[in-house]
Amino acid sequence: MTADLRVRQFGRADAAPRAYRRRGGPPWWFALPALLFFAFVVLVPSVRGVYYAFTDWDGLDPEFDFIGLRNFTDMLDDATASQAIWHTLLIAVAITVIQNGIGLLLALGVNSAIKSRNILRVLLFAPVVVTPIVTAYLWRNLLGPDGAVNSLLAVVGLESWQQDWLGDPDLALWMVVLVVVWQFAGYSMVIFLAGLQSIPREIYEAAAIDGTGAVRRFWSIVRPLLAPAITINLMLSIIGGIKLFDQVYALTGGGPGHATDTISTLIYKDAFTLGEFGYSIALAVVLTIIIAIVSAGQYAALSRNERAAS
Amino acid sequence: MKTRRFAVVVSALTALTLAAACSSGTNARSGSDGADGKTLTLASVDQGSIEDVIKAFEAANPGVKVNFTTSGADQYQAQIRTQLASGTAPDVMTVWPGNGNPGATYVLAKPGYLLDLSDQPWAAKLPEAFKTVAQYEGKTYNAVFGLNGIGAVYNDEALARSGLKAPTTWTELLAFCRDAKGKGTPAYALGIQDNWVTQLVLYALAATVVFGPDRDFNTKLASGQATFAGSAWTQAMARYQEMEKAGCFQKNPLGTSYEASQTLAATGKTLGIVQGNWIISLLKQKNPNGTFTMTALPATDDPATFLMPAAAGAGYGVNAKAKNRDLALKFVTYVMSPAGMKLFNEKQGSLPTLPGAGTTVDPGLKELTTFVEGNRTVPFMDQLWPNAKVQQSMLSGLQEVFSNQATGDEVLKDMDTEYQKGE
Repeated sequence: MTADLRVRQFGRADAAPRAYRRRGGPPWWFALPALLFFAFVVLVPSVRGVYYAFTDWDGLDPEFDFIGLRNFTDMLDDATASQAIWHTLLIAVAITVIQNGIGLLLALGVNSAIKSRNILRVLLFAPVVVTPIVTAYLWRNLLGPDGAVNSLLAVVGLESWQQDWLGDPDLALWMVVLVVVWQFAGYSMVIFLAGLQSIPREIYEAAAIDGTGAVRRFWSIVRPLLAPAITINLMLSIIGGIKLFDQVYALTGGGPGHATDTISTLIYKDAFTLGEFGYSIALAVVLTIIIAIVSAGQYAALSRNERAAS
Repeated sequence: MKTRRFAVVVSALTALTLAAACSSGTNARSGSDGADGKTLTLASVDQGSIEDVIKAFEAANPGVKVNFTTSGADQYQAQIRTQLASGTAPDVMTVWPGNGNPGATYVLAKPGYLLDLSDQPWAAKLPEAFKTVAQYEGKTYNAVFGLNGIGAVYNDEALARSGLKAPTTWTELLAFCRDAKGKGTPAYALGIQDNWVTQLVLYALAATVVFGPDRDFNTKLASGQATFAGSAWTQAMARYQEMEKAGCFQKNPLGTSYEASQTLAATGKTLGIVQGNWIISLLKQKNPNGTFTMTALPATDDPATFLMPAAAGAGYGVNAKAKNRDLALKFVTYVMSPAGMKLFNEKQGSLPTLPGAGTTVDPGLKELTTFVEGNRTVPFMDQLWPNAKVQQSMLSGLQEVFSNQATGDEVLKDMDTEYQKGE
């Protein structure tokens, strides 16, 4: 079994043609068609688009002016924009922590030897495959004043807990987080599950024989071996959280007032409802910068962590 | 080395083919985009009524095919602006009257996207009130076929069951709300989770409170002689909140969607709803046996001073670069003909903008018709505001008022700030 492990670990490097190893990987031009295509459809339009962040274009009028940094300075005075940036970061952090916490617990649960684990895996993963818009509308009905959630509270005698879940500015943001977590905890679970299943049984067995408790086993064995899965999950959920749009737009439309507006919903509203394309693209540029900084920082921290763990 | 060069060549060729495929795709489109004089492209927000008009138009013009899409207003406005800017817009499209929204006449006509329709026979016949909002710099761009009003719409059956009478003065209105609440059926459904709905009660009140004493308020606003925060708008805003306090609306209006508010009013869970006349056909879809009556929403104690907000609804404009200009004009002419207008208005529940269309008006709209004929209407307030941000500040501001995040005065001040920024 140990020999088998070693083959799995080193097999790929041994099997690679000598030429590859000498040059340190496959030749770069293998990626050229993909790179050119990417440049053509994503890179060039994006870079060209950034130009509009420095104009007062309304999205329609062929005549517009170059206004330098004014869109960006306007943003500093725009209370709605700073509120939206704050909401975005809050949502992203909350989603990342809660979704991955729940995802990990679910993964540990369905990784055990319980009989119904396959059915459970399917059920827990099911929300992930539904479009966010559909789940958002579903929850919008469930959380409505006469929706299932309030009815359920009445049935169990908790009338006093009934709320206007989406109409209360203090609750609405958390309801958005709840819906996203409900939908994507299964996604985190699958990635954690893949990580857990790559941990050889023997290690657990050896630890169990040595008499280590469940918590110690998790902390000293599972956690370090799960480090790559944790990195992927945290990266994906923080980026997903920062650019959150569909669920917010369908659940609350950014309201009540601006209580749940995120940078993405503002970008949409400024561009299409208010016809302020230049300003909207400036916001999009800020969003891109935030994502780049946060994910670069996170990647650096996590990969350091991963190396330390391995 | 040899293989390497070969691979580079292959990659380059792939990229070139891709680029070529994309560009030839564009060329192919412009060449065969239905410019055969037989296919009309159309984008509309008149869901549920445009379909019949198209069928009738196709029947009247054998061999003609109309390719159309319909969508909700928000989505439509985003779509049409993108299409216009990229040169892929349809021949005929929904255009709102006046200014103040992203798909409005002034907004689209100013950069030259709309065809001048001034020489069309119906253009000269439009009543003066509609001309102002269908024209930009003296030229007509919008075929407005229908007129809409805002008022209190009652579910006749629910009202009869409650034993209450529809209020005719402001004092009666507040008493009516308290009584209705006391009987367990709130007076009006309010679905302000969808933020455009927030404005309707305010408009209904402002028509009487602001424009009753001063029909020229908009001109004064435009010339800087008046402001929202320093005018009777504060009174209209206060009355909206007074209605809320008196229990006029069901619980949790902010969590109630437009759709849900229709269900409440249609099924008698509330006695009525403050909405536009278009709601009547929607209420009937949810309760086919119900009858619904619209009246002016009382805003003072003198019914003689009541005004109703009534204005041209969205009409149709022709793309200045229409591929089938003749067919597009033919379609617009049909919409504005007595037959087309009658079909459209009856299906939509609106009133015709031209006399002699022979439209059978829903009996529930009698009072609106009387107000229109008696010149006791004012246009929807936002149609003459200089930019879309004024209305947006009001819409999200009213949601904030209802969730105690802002006061009415703050909202009006924000509206002034946006108004003063101009176009």
